[in-house]
Amino acid sequence: MAALPAPATTPKKIKKLSPGELMIAWGDGHETRIAAPVLRRECPCAQCKDEMTGVRLILPMHVPDSLEFRRIELVGQYALQFEWTDAHRTGIFSFEYLRSLCPCEACEKIRSGAQ
Amino acid sequence: MAFWNKESTVTEEQVLSALKNVLDPDLRKDIVSLGFIRNLKIDKGAVHFDMTLTTPACPVRDQMRDQALALVKELPGVQTVEINMTSEVRQAPQLDRTALKNVRNIVAVGSGKGGVGKSTMAVNIAASLAAAGARVGLLDGDIYGPTTPIMLGIETAPKSVGPRIIPQEAAGLKFMSMGLLVKTDQPLIWRGPMATKALQQCLFDVDWGELDYLVIDLPPGTGDVHLTLAQAVPLTGAVIVSTPQDVGLRISMKTLRMFQQTRIPILGIIENMSYYICPHCDSKDFIFGNGGGKRAAEELGIPFLGEVPLDLAIRTQSDIGSPIVLAQPNAASSKALREIAEKVAAQISIRSYDAPTLEIE
Repeated sequence: MAALPAPATTPKKIKKLSPGELMIAWGDGHETRIAAPVLRRECPCAQCKDEMTGVRLILPMHVPDSLEFRRIELVGQYALQFEWTDAHRTGIFSFEYLRSLCPCEACEKIRSGAQ
Repeated sequence: MAFWNKESTVTEEQVLSALKNVLDPDLRKDIVSLGFIRNLKIDKGAVHFDMTLTTPACPVRDQMRDQALALVKELPGVQTVEINMTSEVRQAPQLDRTALKNVRNIVAVGSGKGGVGKSTMAVNIAASLAAAGARVGLLDGDIYGPTTPIMLGIETAPKSVGPRIIPQEAAGLKFMSMGLLVKTDQPLIWRGPMATKALQQCLFDVDWGELDYLVIDLPPGTGDVHLTLAQAVPLTGAVIVSTPQDVGLRISMKTLRMFQQTRIPILGIIENMSYYICPHCDSKDFIFGNGGGKRAAEELGIPFLGEVPLDLAIRTQSDIGSPIVLAQPNAASSKALREIAEKVAAQISIRSYDAPTLEIE
């Protein structure tokens, strides 16, 4: 996917709406609402995604829909790190990656158009 | 002037509206809106106020003071003007969330390859900022080849009280070196995770106290220490040191890209070893080519912070543990280094004003 302009990947506000839902308001005005299990399934860490082949090692069925956030932390100034209620916490989600995961209809449309 | 003007006293509004004409050239706003003017007192014709800048090492400090002085003096009813110059370094956003909440700004000094004079620049920038009146810490992050302890004349391990490490003091700085955690003559053969742990210890287990600037001298390249730093703390920015030689610059680009990917603002490029001043005839020789750093800065759209000559005195002062900016403050090289430190301080102030705010709930 082509690189997005900087404001689109710069968060202005990050808020835990509920134990299982995160909201990120981006610099371009867009708002992402994403559920804890959705993020867990896309975890980019080496335990969840093979470092060499990129093959996903964690499968959707491994993650219950009831999964919640235990902790949300800022990593330096470029990423977020989550700890979920399954105790997993090694994934670092860059702001670019988080924006690319936005599940809203508009973003979905852009993604399918780009493919 | 009409006679009744001698009796009339100037008002606060008049003084402030005159001062609104003084602009901070770096922050591009007037000094009243920026909140620099404090404790304004008018006693008949005598006007007093504090001008609180964003850094004691402000490169335009005298210019702004002189301008303010002239404008207020011109007002009718004003006989004397007294300006008390102070400074208050702003805290970079997000830093108050970390264990380093008493540190206002963290600046990394990096380079693509080794031997370009990173440590020399880091030591002299830190010492210049401290000499200007700022509270400064220096962390030598180069575990594999620590040279900073030599440059500051410190080669003993720091003391600790319980779990806390007490930083050493030299050249007006609080100082800690990852190299001081191991014996001097022993090579360090560590795997990445150990380097990561050692850096975290130097950041969070050292009693830095209140600091305006914590300067971190990085190892060359883009390794574990860099990534750990980018993840552990929100850096205010990074300074890149390069030589004018193309190779040095091209490798610096990699370091630059790493900082960009981890969203660390680039405060600018310093070109070290820009030219050699012949000690016999004072002529300049551009041994590694001319103007490479400046061109690269322009191409990349980042600030060019200045040139530092290859000067024998910089090397000899470093070897005896006494930074040139303090030992020979009037030398041409010291002046160049001091100006670079001021530009770094100015860039930091700009970043703390422009930084996007991020609310986390």
